[in-house]
Amino acid sequence: MMQASGWFRWLNTFLLGCFACAALFPFINILAVSFSSSRAINAGEVSLWPIEFNLDAYRNLIADGQLLVAMRNSLVITLVGTAFNMLFTVLAAYPLSKRRLQGRNVMLMGILFTMLFGGGLIPNFLLISSLGLVNSYWGLWLPALISAYNMFVMKSFFEGLPEELEESAAIDGAKDWMILWRIILPISMPVIAALTLFYAVGWWNNYFNVLIYIKSTDKLSLTVKLYQMLQNVSSELLRTTNGEGALQTTITPEGIRAASIVIAVLPILCVYPFLQKHFVKGVLMGSVKG
Amino acid sequence: MESSAGHRASIPIGAAGLDAQKPLWRRRWSRDKYLYLMLVPVAIYFILFKYAPLFGEVMAFKNYRLSEGIWGSPWVGLEQFRKLFTSPDFVQILRNTLLLNLYNLLFAFPVPIVLALMLNELRSEVYKRVLQNLLYIPHFMSWIVLGSIVIAVLSPSTGIVNAVLKFFGVEPIYFMASTFWWPISFVGSSIWRDAGFGTILYLAAMASVNPQLYEAAAIDGASRWRQIWHVTLPGIRSTIAILLVLQMGHMMDVGFEQVYTLQNSAVGSVSEVISTYVYKRGIVGLQYSYTTALGLFQSVVSLILVVAVNRFIRAMGERGLW
Repeated sequence: MMQASGWFRWLNTFLLGCFACAALFPFINILAVSFSSSRAINAGEVSLWPIEFNLDAYRNLIADGQLLVAMRNSLVITLVGTAFNMLFTVLAAYPLSKRRLQGRNVMLMGILFTMLFGGGLIPNFLLISSLGLVNSYWGLWLPALISAYNMFVMKSFFEGLPEELEESAAIDGAKDWMILWRIILPISMPVIAALTLFYAVGWWNNYFNVLIYIKSTDKLSLTVKLYQMLQNVSSELLRTTNGEGALQTTITPEGIRAASIVIAVLPILCVYPFLQKHFVKGVLMGSVKG
Repeated sequence: MESSAGHRASIPIGAAGLDAQKPLWRRRWSRDKYLYLMLVPVAIYFILFKYAPLFGEVMAFKNYRLSEGIWGSPWVGLEQFRKLFTSPDFVQILRNTLLLNLYNLLFAFPVPIVLALMLNELRSEVYKRVLQNLLYIPHFMSWIVLGSIVIAVLSPSTGIVNAVLKFFGVEPIYFMASTFWWPISFVGSSIWRDAGFGTILYLAAMASVNPQLYEAAAIDGASRWRQIWHVTLPGIRSTIAILLVLQMGHMMDVGFEQVYTLQNSAVGSVSEVISTYVYKRGIVGLQYSYTTALGLFQSVVSLILVVAVNRFIRAMGERGLW
């Protein structure tokens, strides 16, 4: 349908390819650094390919073990947090999608207001402290049970479903919660998939709340642990290598940093290709009614 | 929370079904009781975790002391605000917050539009899809990861960027430690993370442009450039406008994590923003009342901005945010 002149098309195709490579280049560079020798890293020789390939940085990190504990913690935070999110988001969105419900508008306005005006960091912090939730994952999960934005996305998805489905079930005497479970949820998979992913990525990448509320070192999430390691890598991790003697000469903070980043990124990169299309759908769903 | 809702469920069910000549509210209740029961934990959540903290804002008008709690601490009226507004820190963090947002608006905001226009011109659907998937990837990474990659790549001693510059005979640049380069690196990192993902809405808007418009333009002899200018851009104009004003509504927030991972003591004068300052002075420094006052100031200005933006969107003839 389009008549583009040849050079224009080729230039466009080429430039876009360059942009995509540019976006990926830092990841590839870090991957290469993580497998390179400290001499090559310090000499600034590493670009896209490992120089003097070795696994010392990874060996060091795995022997140290802290990053793996943190990864397990992140997994727990993500799985439980996302499950709570979805349960409570459905509990809010389904009743509020029923126009006949008395008091619906009051509640919707009440929820909308929380999107526009929040209590701020310090009052929230003192609330969580006074509930005794500091240093507990409940202090992460409970205050974030429902994202108002995601709730509105799900509500408008429910509103778009044909009413006849429910009416016939209601005539058969099905209760609301049965209708929700047997009829609504099975046909709402697109919105459920998208919101599950939004919540899950949010939990996996969560940094700030863990930084504030989690105090014990062995409970920290991957993101916070990673940040601490990146800050202290020279002192902490290199000292552990001193005991092993032989490794000492081949290790450099940059190598350890790069390897920690790779370990942290890997899980997301592994699931990304399979889930990517749900994200796009989710973004579009949200935009239909902001 | 869930189990408490379950207990409440058992009380009214039997009572509602008994009477045939029920008043309206009882008929409604017996029809919708399960819906209301679902909303009980939801209401508790919003009241406890979203509305209760609003009362904590009174701290901004007190001198909070740990031993006396929120309610026992003495009132000081607007003293915290006076301290805040006369502090040189305030001018600096407010200026940084607004400036970093302004840079993002000027330099990062147009990038996804251009990218989407370019992607839209691709003929091969497969190539387009591959590129999109690659460009979206950084958006799914935590700022901790992205920030540390940015720092590593821009490192003056071992970073690849300075290695390339050295190859061309340029002296190493201290990107993250220079007050000139830091904001540029900041905006660059915003573009890296969000420009690709930001194309989604524009591409969707472009896909809904009527193909006959392109055909008509081509018959009239319009080149590709003129077709983009006269057909594609008008087709996404309202999307651009809405996203633009939405972003302007967030002028008072700069994400904590992006700044916190990228900043260091050498560039505090250009990188300290409201969110990082509240964290450092409040959570770390325990100046609860002072930072609550700052947080309240930020929330109020943000609320005014968002309400104004919504008015503006409606005045443009678009559907508002609420």
